[in-house]
Amino acid sequence: MAKTKVKVHRSAMAKREERWAWLFIAPPFVGFMLFMAYPIVFALIASTSKWTGMNSLWGNIVGLGNYIKIFGDYKFWRSMGTTIIYMIGIPIGMILGILIAMGLNRKIPGKRVLTTMYYVPVVSSLVAVSILWAWVFNYDYGLLNGIYKALTGMHGPNWLGDEQMVKISMIIFMVWKGLGGTVILYLAGLQNIPRDYYEAAMIDGANGWKKFTNITLPLLSPVTFYVLITSLIGGFQVFVEVQVMTPNGGPNYSSATVVFYLYEKAFTNGQLGYGSAVAVILATIIFIITAINFWGQDKWVKTID
Amino acid sequence: MKKKVLSILLAGCMSMGILAGCSTTTVEEAGEATPAEPAADTAAAETTSESSTETLAGEGDQTIHVFLYMQEHEKEIYQQLIDEFVEEHKDQVKEVVFEVTTQDEYNQKMIANMTAGDMPDVFYVGPAAVRSYVDNGYILPLDDYVDDATISSIWGTTQEIYRYDGTNVGQGSLYAFPKDLSCFAFAYNQDLFDEAGLEYPDPNKPYTYAEFEEVCKALTKDKDGDGEIDQWGVACADQWGMTPFLYSNGVKFLNDDMTKVNVANNPQLTEALTFYTDLTKNGLTPSVEQDTALGGYQRWLDGQVAFYACGTWDVAAFMDDATFPYKWNLCGWPVGPSGDGRSHTWMGSVGYCVSATTEYPDLCAELVSKLSTDADGQRAVSGISTGASIQLPNITELAYGEFKDAVNSGKVPYASNVDVIFGYFDGNDNYAAALQETDYTYNSEWFTPFWSGVFNIKNGDISVEDYLKQVEPEMQQLLDEAIELQNSATKNG
Repeated sequence: MAKTKVKVHRSAMAKREERWAWLFIAPPFVGFMLFMAYPIVFALIASTSKWTGMNSLWGNIVGLGNYIKIFGDYKFWRSMGTTIIYMIGIPIGMILGILIAMGLNRKIPGKRVLTTMYYVPVVSSLVAVSILWAWVFNYDYGLLNGIYKALTGMHGPNWLGDEQMVKISMIIFMVWKGLGGTVILYLAGLQNIPRDYYEAAMIDGANGWKKFTNITLPLLSPVTFYVLITSLIGGFQVFVEVQVMTPNGGPNYSSATVVFYLYEKAFTNGQLGYGSAVAVILATIIFIITAINFWGQDKWVKTID
Repeated sequence: MKKKVLSILLAGCMSMGILAGCSTTTVEEAGEATPAEPAADTAAAETTSESSTETLAGEGDQTIHVFLYMQEHEKEIYQQLIDEFVEEHKDQVKEVVFEVTTQDEYNQKMIANMTAGDMPDVFYVGPAAVRSYVDNGYILPLDDYVDDATISSIWGTTQEIYRYDGTNVGQGSLYAFPKDLSCFAFAYNQDLFDEAGLEYPDPNKPYTYAEFEEVCKALTKDKDGDGEIDQWGVACADQWGMTPFLYSNGVKFLNDDMTKVNVANNPQLTEALTFYTDLTKNGLTPSVEQDTALGGYQRWLDGQVAFYACGTWDVAAFMDDATFPYKWNLCGWPVGPSGDGRSHTWMGSVGYCVSATTEYPDLCAELVSKLSTDADGQRAVSGISTGASIQLPNITELAYGEFKDAVNSGKVPYASNVDVIFGYFDGNDNYAAALQETDYTYNSEWFTPFWSGVFNIKNGDISVEDYLKQVEPEMQQLLDEAIELQNSATKNG
């Protein structure tokens, strides 16, 4: 690790190249400062104020007042709880993703068609498919209850109108929407695993399950890690589907997520300061969870090398 | 170690996304009192899809920037008015920049303008926002620029709601001229009345609660005989269609200075809310579950309900046979036993105001008054000259005269009981209307817990009394916050 300091005599050309280098670095750097760093600092400051967008921000600084209020805000906690419940969909999506990817990783006819079909939801507009699923879930006229009635002769559940059912409906939707992406990633992961590993295992007499748990799963762990992190971050930011399918946050606020709550506070009720505080808390939580993931990855994420 | 540091950095970047994302866009209500919001639920109003800017040039040196939102077909009419205005003042005017956008984008742009301190010369203000716009020094009083005859030609309501004296809305200087005045009236499906052999509601004598319930019973039936009700007396959206029932029983949610919520110990409210929720409990409206499947508006269009709310902005859609293939007419909301004996509803409006920073207050005030009260402009938007009514005339004389004649002669397709609406606008022995109380508070958040939980009563999960006791503290807390925000604007203007 020892470093020796060497005095560098730079030529004119090197200096010129360095100037060019700065020029190339500048656009992303300026972009970051303008569209990330500035808004973040702004949000941090706004979160300590009663800023409404119309009054003066600096004249209404209240320190940690918003944060203290959030701790006693039952709507915040309810929406946080719902956000976490929705994350039940993450492991479900991962398990289904691995299974489907393994199915598609064999030489079967229509593989491309199937892959495309799984991927269509991912590239579809979230708003459009949310509207579509609102109809699928419709209590009287929905596809699901239509099938249910045809099979059982009874009226199906109130998918979006019942406090518990609405959470299940949202999880179903999110798994459906995200599955294609997970499948593609796992499929790529599977195709990166060298054949000879399996051949060697076969010679050693390993059965299918052993091969799966000792070769496939460990070597897919980088993909699993990536999927986990992106899903967790995405999971904390769920908004559109909730807004479209249950515009008022569901019966007794049962489907609202933290971002939905944040939006409602900041943009419907003009409490931009309070909304910023919710955003800061949410960002902190995401930061901590992502950090824990990165710290812990050494324990379970394996690479081929 | 290096890797760990890198991990943390990466984690940081990923989580920062949300902070940055959340602070770059800012929207706020312009404070309009509000046909806009129910319109999203009811007829999706056709608004301009993209913002457009027209520049109209004269020979003078004064430039005015007009920034509004409106529908595409309205824009043409106002464009013409502005053309005329430029022509009339061409020695003064260099150009009028007429920028029109969608309502959503409008709110965002206005906040950006306010933050940057770069306001257009003419823009909208809603009655709800007059107070904060004036307190923050954004708009000019117009009394000095416009003559009294013009002011007294518009509806009394619109003369009042844009006045503010620094303490109270409703008195003091006039800060805006109305673009429109609207109200949330009630309508009935004539065909269903004919089928049931019932007499039509009398526009000069709104039903009492009891009479209304009887009529609804007669109109609720199982038409196809499959054992399930498929036609109901009435359907109501709790957010918009509940309050007229309550107002008509004398209900006020707030005390006079709008600082205290009065819900838990409010006998008029208890009585009215019991009546309202019993309509559903007794099966005279679609059930809560049925309502989640298909809203009242769709059921009304489909001829499944006999009564439904009809905002003035809905009339054109209901007159269109392709949208609503039934005969219908206007009537009053039913009157409760403990009110003042009149049928009440809520009104909405948005007004044109002039920026406090404009260089040309005279010219802007003249333009505002033309946009609001020009007779030909009003003939066009109300349909007298165009045959398609976008709104009611702002000028009372025109409304009671030419407009009513045009309705009676069939030149303007409109419900013949248009007097119901005029009754609400002007107030008389049978009708009265006011802005919603949420229009006078900084935001409407305090009312949300009230309407959004009413379905629990309809479902039988909680009694009216318990519900009102339970919801009051939350409403009060949110109202306190709204007042605090209101005051923060006043102090730091």
